[in-house]
Order: sequence, then C-alpha cells, then structure tokens
Amino acid sequence: MAYAYLFKYIIIGDTGVGKSCLLLQFTDKRFQPVHDLTIGVEFGARMITIDGKQIKLQIWDTAGQESFRSITRSYYRGAAGALLVYDITRRDTFNHLTTWLEDARQHSNSNMVIMLIGNKSDLESRREVKKEEGEAFAREHGLIFMETSAKTASNVEEAFINTAKEIYEKIQEGVFDINNEANGIKIGPQHAATNSTLSGSQGGQQAGGGCC
Amino acid sequence: MKKGKKRQQQSTGARVNGNAQRKESWKEEKLVQIHQYLNSDPVDVDNLRRAAVSEGGLLTDELRRKVWPKLLNVNVYNLPARPCMRADTRQVLQEKLIDIILVILQKNPALNYYQGYHDIVVTFLLVVGERLAIAMVETLSKHHLRDFMDPTMDSTKHILNYLFPILEEVDPELHDFMLRSEVGSVFALSWLITWYGHVLSEFRHILRLYDFFLASHPLMPIYFAAVIVLHREKVVKRTECDMAMVHHLLSQIPQDLPYEELISQAHSLFNRAPPSVLARRAALQSRTSVTINCFTDFQKTTRQQRPDSVLRRQLLRGRERGGVAPDSPLTGATASNQLVKMAFWGISATLGAAVLAVAQTAVDWAPEFIVQLF
Repeated sequence: MAYAYLFKYIIIGDTGVGKSCLLLQFTDKRFQPVHDLTIGVEFGARMITIDGKQIKLQIWDTAGQESFRSITRSYYRGAAGALLVYDITRRDTFNHLTTWLEDARQHSNSNMVIMLIGNKSDLESRREVKKEEGEAFAREHGLIFMETSAKTASNVEEAFINTAKEIYEKIQEGVFDINNEANGIKIGPQHAATNSTLSGSQGGQQAGGGCC
Repeated sequence: MKKGKKRQQQSTGARVNGNAQRKESWKEEKLVQIHQYLNSDPVDVDNLRRAAVSEGGLLTDELRRKVWPKLLNVNVYNLPARPCMRADTRQVLQEKLIDIILVILQKNPALNYYQGYHDIVVTFLLVVGERLAIAMVETLSKHHLRDFMDPTMDSTKHILNYLFPILEEVDPELHDFMLRSEVGSVFALSWLITWYGHVLSEFRHILRLYDFFLASHPLMPIYFAAVIVLHREKVVKRTECDMAMVHHLLSQIPQDLPYEELISQAHSLFNRAPPSVLARRAALQSRTSVTINCFTDFQKTTRQQRPDSVLRRQLLRGRERGGVAPDSPLTGATASNQLVKMAFWGISATLGAAVLAVAQTAVDWAPEFIVQLF
C-alpha cells in the first residue's frame, strides 16, 4: 500500500515487560496472555494517518535478555523512534531504564524520538512503580511518557501514534534529514520520484535481480 | 472407463502396499544394524552417526535413548543424581526443566543461560528423562552449545556469519539478493540456538533434526539454515528486496519442509564446503570459538566407548567393591539455593508458553512417555 512516509521503530526494555504484546495489540488488536519468548528480533508493521498523510510504521521488537544486546543493538541504527518499556509491577525493570537509555542513545541517531512506556497499567493492585516516578524519569531525560496496558489496549494506539506525531513534527521542523535512510525515515513511493532511493552501500552490487 | 480406473486404483493400491512393506523391512534392517553398532566394542560411533543422519534417523525414541548418549560420549551407568526430590513440590515439567538447567549452570559457572536454551533442554527431558538429560545437555553445553553460552552473543554472531558463504557456494544470485537487502542473518538466530526447537511445532520433526545434529559437526544447524533458505529461493527472490520484508519472510519457517531431503542436502553441502574452507574463502574473521576448536578432540573421545553391557558390568563390580552408588542424592547446594532459583524465574518469566507448546505436541506424539514423566 502506498504511504507518504515510513518510520522505523524499535521496542526495547527488560525481558517480560510486554514488548511483544504491545506490538501485537497495536498491529493485530489482540492480546495473548502467554506470549512466546522473543529470540533475536521480530517485526511488525501498520499503517496510520497523521495530518491526512498515510504513514507506515515498521516496528522491530527485540529480545530483552542482556546477552542478546550485542545482536539487537545493530537495530537501533536507522530507527526514528524507540519505545522504551518497563513493567509497573516490577521495580527492577524500572531501575534498568538508565542502562537501556544509555545503550539506545549511544547506538542510535541523536534525533531518535524515545517514548517511555510503563506497561501493565491494568495490574494496579500489584503496582511497584508510581506513575509520578515514570513521569519524573521521562522529564529528566527528555522523553515522552505514557502508561499503557497491552492487555486492555489502554493507551497502546496513543503510544505508537504520539511517537509518530513527534517524528512528523521534527520532519516539518527540518530536524530530520529525510533523504538519509539511516535516520529511520523513508519517503513513500509517490514522493520518491525525484529521489531514487537506493538501499545502503553495504551490498554494493546493484546489478540485476530487480532489487530495491 | 470406470473399470479401467478401478483397476488402476487396485494396482496403485498394491504398489503402495508393496512400498509400505519394503519400507518396513528396510526399517527393521536399520534397527538391527543400529543394535549391532551399539554392541560392538568399542561402540561403532561412526556408523551410529551415519545412521542418525541417513533417512529416518534413529527411528524410535527407545533407540534415541540408547544412541544419543553414545553420540555425546555419555555413560548411562554413571549419571549425575536426580536433583533432589522435594516432597512438598509438585514435580511438574517446568520444575524439572528448571532443576536441570540450574544443576548444569551451577556446576559450570562459565556457562550463561540464554533464552532459548530451555527449548533444547525440554526436548532431551521428554525423550531421555531427567538424569540422562542432565548428563547429555551438560556435555552439549560444553561443546556444541558452548559459544551460545557466553555472557554476550558475539561468538554466536560469528557462527551466524557462516550462513552467507554457504549460500554463496550454492546460489550466488540468491546470496547477492540477500546481501543487497541487508537482511543479515539474525532471522536464523532462534533456529541456531534452539536447534529449531523454538520454531518447529511438530515434535517428531524436532527429534529428527536432533538425530542429525547430535551426529554432526556443531555448525551443522547453520548449514541446515542455509538449506532452508535455498529451498525457498524462488519465494525469497520474488520478495521486495528490503531488509524488513526479507527478514519477515525468512523468519516465518514453513512447517511442511521436506526434512529428509533437506537433511541430506545439508549433509552433502557440509562435505562439499566444510567450515574451514568457507572461513578461508569468505575471510571470516578468525575468532576463538570453543565450540569449533574442541570438536575434533571431542569426536575422538566418542570413539572409545564401551558398549552398555560392559558399562553395566563395570558399574556392578564397582558397587560390590563399595563404590558410591550413583543414585545417591546430591547434597543441598543444588536444591536449597532458592535465591538462584528466584533470579532464574525472573529471566524465564515467559518460559511457560514455549514449554507448554512443546509438551503439548509431545503428548500428541508420545503419550506413554509423558505419563511416565509426571
């Protein structure tokens, strides 16, 4: 389907905080109480509309376990947005945010929009991290913040869409160089006539194959 | 017309029956042969290996319980004790699984748990039971899986890097297409580190692959990954040459793969282009891979095993001399360490779904054995 822009997202955060469930709720509008473990990276996509423009979100969902970071890190590069997720019922997942943030900032482009998400807001009785703490952390580090529930779908749309709005505004302000795909933004086919986008240089060989 | 058709059907029927009979007798022959290999002294591991690779693999779970340990040089008469039976705890599959993993990790501090490890452990638990699973998975963890068990996945990335040179060897066009798409090889990560246990839904397919991998070089799972990609060559080339599209396509593994065919292809591909040749040709960064480096020695040790009848006699003699019975329970260290267990629960919070899925297909496949587990 034609789109005006494609934004690349990455979802990061500790294991078991609900990253894959957030993605599934956003792309398929359903919740799987026992979701299979994510090993490496998985991928989902959905079309949204902002300012009357069709925008395709391409979302990379990553494994949370520490040892996988040397693999998932390479996906930060070329992401326009990141959802940094913790679990409001597990204090340790909140405590690890600084490490995640440092890692993300170090390996991504400096304009990447980061949305902090406190997930599992439906589990109020088991809450270990106050909403105010999430807000304070976000303020301190210049992030957008929301509490979500992948289970009830509360704020899930908003989390993904608000991140896209922020990226879109940055494009309007000219902060993002949209001709550089390393920024995680691609101009859609109908806009790309003057801009024959080739994929990055690593492959090198452009001959044959009907590729790109 | 009708008559003709009927006759045709009959003759087809007869042919099918004939085929079935041939197939059965061929299987019986293989069973007898495998038993001969098991009983020769020293055990004929090279032929056992060939049997595990060739059509049908090791055929039955009963045979797997006998042959798998030989492939890893595990003495079934000298097994670690059961990790402490707690009367107050229900022995559910998940508990056993976690106990096995904890025993191995505590005994080998250099090994790190990775998400996906349990997919391998559960397969052994279901086929060979708890004690043999500990012995086998421990050996496997120190050899075939060793690189995956580093604190980081850097060594694993190195192994994944073999995928492209293998593709290039067979289909340079497909190789170039994938290179241009910048898809990388991470789509095969879960295949590699779980020996496909995480991605295949049918237990019998997983077992067939385990026959193959246990009998092969530790890099064989990456050759198998290449063979899957090559098998899907047409679909891949028709896909938009874009990292996300190609990653998405390849990471969804088809469930109806022709396993026997692919196993035989991977096997001959390995012989045609072994890792050493690929490494030289593709100038793969040399990296100290414990898994690859210690494999030759490991394979040598497997050739000096005594058959089970001898091992049993040795065990009995040992007992008569008053040796420690291998059944004696382990001392407190393994069981009482609730802290470690809690930490482990943290990382395996989402373990349940995967295990249950495998257990479910296993129940469908071998109900009698599952019942024994509980």
